[in-house]
Amino acid sequence: MVVGLNPKGFKLPRVEKEKFVLLIRLGVDYNREQCLYSIKNYNNIEKIIETIAGILNSEVVFLQSCTRCGKNFPCSECKYNNLCTSRDMPFSCVCPQCLRERKHFEEYLEKL
Amino acid sequence: MEKYRPKKIEDIIGNEEAKATFIEWLKGKRKTKKAVLLYGPPGVGKTALVNAAAKESGFTIIEMNASDTRSEKAVNAIAKPATSYLALDTFTTGSKGNLLFLDEVDGIAGNEDRGGVSAIIEIVEKSKVPVIMAANDPDIDKLRPLKKICLLVRFHQIRLPLIIALLQKICLLEHVKADFEALEHIAQNSKGDVRSAINDLQSLSEENHVLTLLDTMALSSRNKDINMDETLRGYFSAKSIEEVSSLLFRASVDYDEFIMSVSDNLPRRYTNPDELALAYDYVSKADLFRGRIGTEHWHLLKYFFNELSEAAAVAPESYKPFEFISPPIRIITLFWTKGKRTMLNSICGKIGALCHVSHSKAKHEFVPFIKMMLQNQKSSSLISWLELTPEEVDFLVKMNRY
Repeated sequence: MVVGLNPKGFKLPRVEKEKFVLLIRLGVDYNREQCLYSIKNYNNIEKIIETIAGILNSEVVFLQSCTRCGKNFPCSECKYNNLCTSRDMPFSCVCPQCLRERKHFEEYLEKL
Repeated sequence: MEKYRPKKIEDIIGNEEAKATFIEWLKGKRKTKKAVLLYGPPGVGKTALVNAAAKESGFTIIEMNASDTRSEKAVNAIAKPATSYLALDTFTTGSKGNLLFLDEVDGIAGNEDRGGVSAIIEIVEKSKVPVIMAANDPDIDKLRPLKKICLLVRFHQIRLPLIIALLQKICLLEHVKADFEALEHIAQNSKGDVRSAINDLQSLSEENHVLTLLDTMALSSRNKDINMDETLRGYFSAKSIEEVSSLLFRASVDYDEFIMSVSDNLPRRYTNPDELALAYDYVSKADLFRGRIGTEHWHLLKYFFNELSEAAAVAPESYKPFEFISPPIRIITLFWTKGKRTMLNSICGKIGALCHVSHSKAKHEFVPFIKMMLQNQKSSSLISWLELTPEEVDFLVKMNRY
């Protein structure tokens, strides 16, 4: 099974102490009030994904945020995903629609 | 390329998280560590980010990169004064003072940079100004102590859609008409290196009014490996500067090795002393540019190629096929003498351990005398004390140089 997570905030089932400490050390932040995890440090992103996948016992993919339209989309929608070295990692990108359509691009240029 | 070198932080595409972490640190919101180490593959915007952020925040950059010697002495001479005192203009012009930027710290190596890393650590500990370092590979052993005292910020390869988007923007601003597929191909070819993608777009758009996928196919052929042998053959038989230039752009060779090979083979190519002198003059200038390029300043590569092309085209009409030397003599010599050097090192190690001296001192001050003693009379007590093998004794007696 594949689980899609939003890097700005995601929930995890209750984790044992060692796993929680490991996540925090790797650079994951935990908001106690909202019970939401978020990624604070991206240096060990591969290890973070691996640990979360271990906790959820399923494959983990992070949704991508489009820098032009702000839409969240999965890497599987992108035709370059086989060439991407940071596939399924939570980094900014441009969604396939915005890349093809000039409308958003011109709006984006106006913002600059 | 220079026109689209990022001038503002927003101009740098991708790595938003790394950028935010770095800016927070620079503004003092995340000052848990005194220095920051930005690391990641080339062409992702590490140096550009430091330059843009320093400009926007009002810092004056004091930079040391791979083209500078970064020994303990050199680091102390440049970096220490820059980090020990607050600049006077901080009170008058609103400048925030100096910022020390050490680019390509993973390139600190060899004898000329001896003591450089420990000097940097000392400077970071005592520094009154921000210290920023950049590296491509932070995992080398030498940088381990540096990593402990730095905030680490990782940069990832820029994603293809972001590079395509940037190329679209440049095309729009420069009024270049380009097919989407052409831009896609340039971006794919760059392998996440924005700098090379912009360079490719520039070179292709200069030749074509409307950039099509077909025009970008030359990039694929450029990236096809033209090995050292083919490059040398083409280089020496070329009939014009343009021919050499286009060959060099397509060649996939180690430039240091290539320039050594060219240097070795020039006397075979030019028999006329005047032509040879002129060709060597061009090669020496090319070597100068190679030094300046280091691992960062690839925009100077065209000058390196220009000088090498000039050297190949000093007298195109005088070309006669010849058997060229490859690999370079220096590399062949190192290969041939490897056994001898290993044996001498082993002897120096034995002398060093017994006489409490370094390998270098043993080699230069002890070996000549031991050699003379052994040549005059086979001193068995000396041989047994040093525990020299018969091969080592024979080597010492027969060796010409040490």
